[in-house]
Amino acid sequence: MIVEIIINHIPYLLDGLWVAIQLLVCLLAIGFVFGLLLALAEVYGHWTLRASGMAFERVFRGIPELVLILMCFYGVGNWYPIEPFPAAVLALGLRSTAYQSQIFRGVIQAVPKGQIAAARAIGMSGVQAVRYVVLPQALRQVPGPWSNEFSSELKATSLAYVIGVVELTRQGRYIISSTQGNILIVFAVVALMYFVVNWLGNRVLYRAERALEIPGLERRESD
Amino acid sequence: MLLDVKDIHKKYGEIEVLKGVSLTLARGETKVIMGPSGTGKSTLLRCINRLSPPTSGEVFLDGELICDANINEMRQKVAFVFQDFNLFLHLSALDNVAMGPMRLKGMKRAEARELAMQELERVGMQTHAASYPAQLSGGQQQRVSIARALAMKPEVILFDEPTSALDPELTGEVVTVMQKLASDGITMLVVSHEIGFARRAADAIIFMEGGHVIEEGPPEQIIGAPRQDRTREFLNVIAEEGQIS
Repeated sequence: MIVEIIINHIPYLLDGLWVAIQLLVCLLAIGFVFGLLLALAEVYGHWTLRASGMAFERVFRGIPELVLILMCFYGVGNWYPIEPFPAAVLALGLRSTAYQSQIFRGVIQAVPKGQIAAARAIGMSGVQAVRYVVLPQALRQVPGPWSNEFSSELKATSLAYVIGVVELTRQGRYIISSTQGNILIVFAVVALMYFVVNWLGNRVLYRAERALEIPGLERRESD
Repeated sequence: MLLDVKDIHKKYGEIEVLKGVSLTLARGETKVIMGPSGTGKSTLLRCINRLSPPTSGEVFLDGELICDANINEMRQKVAFVFQDFNLFLHLSALDNVAMGPMRLKGMKRAEARELAMQELERVGMQTHAASYPAQLSGGQQQRVSIARALAMKPEVILFDEPTSALDPELTGEVVTVMQKLASDGITMLVVSHEIGFARRAADAIIFMEGGHVIEEGPPEQIIGAPRQDRTREFLNVIAEEGQIS
């Protein structure tokens, strides 16, 4: 009977999962683009840029996600009408920007100084050196640390529940209200769905990490 | 004069590393700069292509002042070979050499790679074109980095201790390549203690100490009969270290 309920409600759960994935993709994309810009500003920028970058990053890493989501929806909503989905993307995207900037800053700073010197020495401008030499090396190192960010943001999408985004967790909640009970089993199915997406995503990132390795510099297998 | 270096001073805070160094290099000439470590030899090379801009003094290439405004064009004409190679780690040997012509001279990829292959042949590395830096020995990496410099068709190449980071048995292959370039008429300014190279390939040896040029002269004279005591003492020291070949 419970099996029947679950099977009947699978389409709703999949709808919710799809919303969660859209939310995840949007917030990660925002975090990727702005996190990379923030990291470049923090590493190469004028001190004013560095300082404001650092301030942004400290603030958005220091606030609970839930508070950010509430601020973006109800706070911003005071001045400007905003739907729950974009409010959640904004809140989580800002937070992800702060976290991803740290990933990018780390991999950019890990590129040996001599690489830039060599690029400059053949006549590249600073921007060309970063574009053709630093970033191609730095970005290869991203998938490893980025998989952490992927996992934690996937789980954070469930917080959009509180402002009424009908994502996976909320769909689960609806099923529980409409079928009276079955709390543990329904949430277990919901949990399983998050887990599978997480696992698949990490597998893809692991593959990407392998594919991007520079020949001769691969990490030693601990055999 | 192709390269005219005039009264270069370089200060790091209170410490003056270069105290007024001048030298000239005619087209096709090879000069070797020697001197004790900490004397400012590498700093001088880095001042010439402004990887570390001089505190005062001027450098002219073919009569044109090298300055911040034209530095990226000038560096295409004044190539630099690093002590520790600094090959681009994410690129194969071939693409390391093709990078400059492709990104800076607007060559098509295929054309740039063809040129790169020729330059790799010139340094005897054509069979390693597909290898990545981490898969090459130090000597091989340095030869690729010389090919990378050559591919820009520079007016002059600055060599900053090109064999110092190599195991002794690997210096020979690099020195051989450099000798070949010198006899091909490439203009070279080389910071190195390879006496054998200096004797066979240099038009002049410049001996530096304490931020000054102490003396300059043809290799036979500097090695055989240095005028300055300091030069003689220095040559004796490196002879004892077994670097004379």
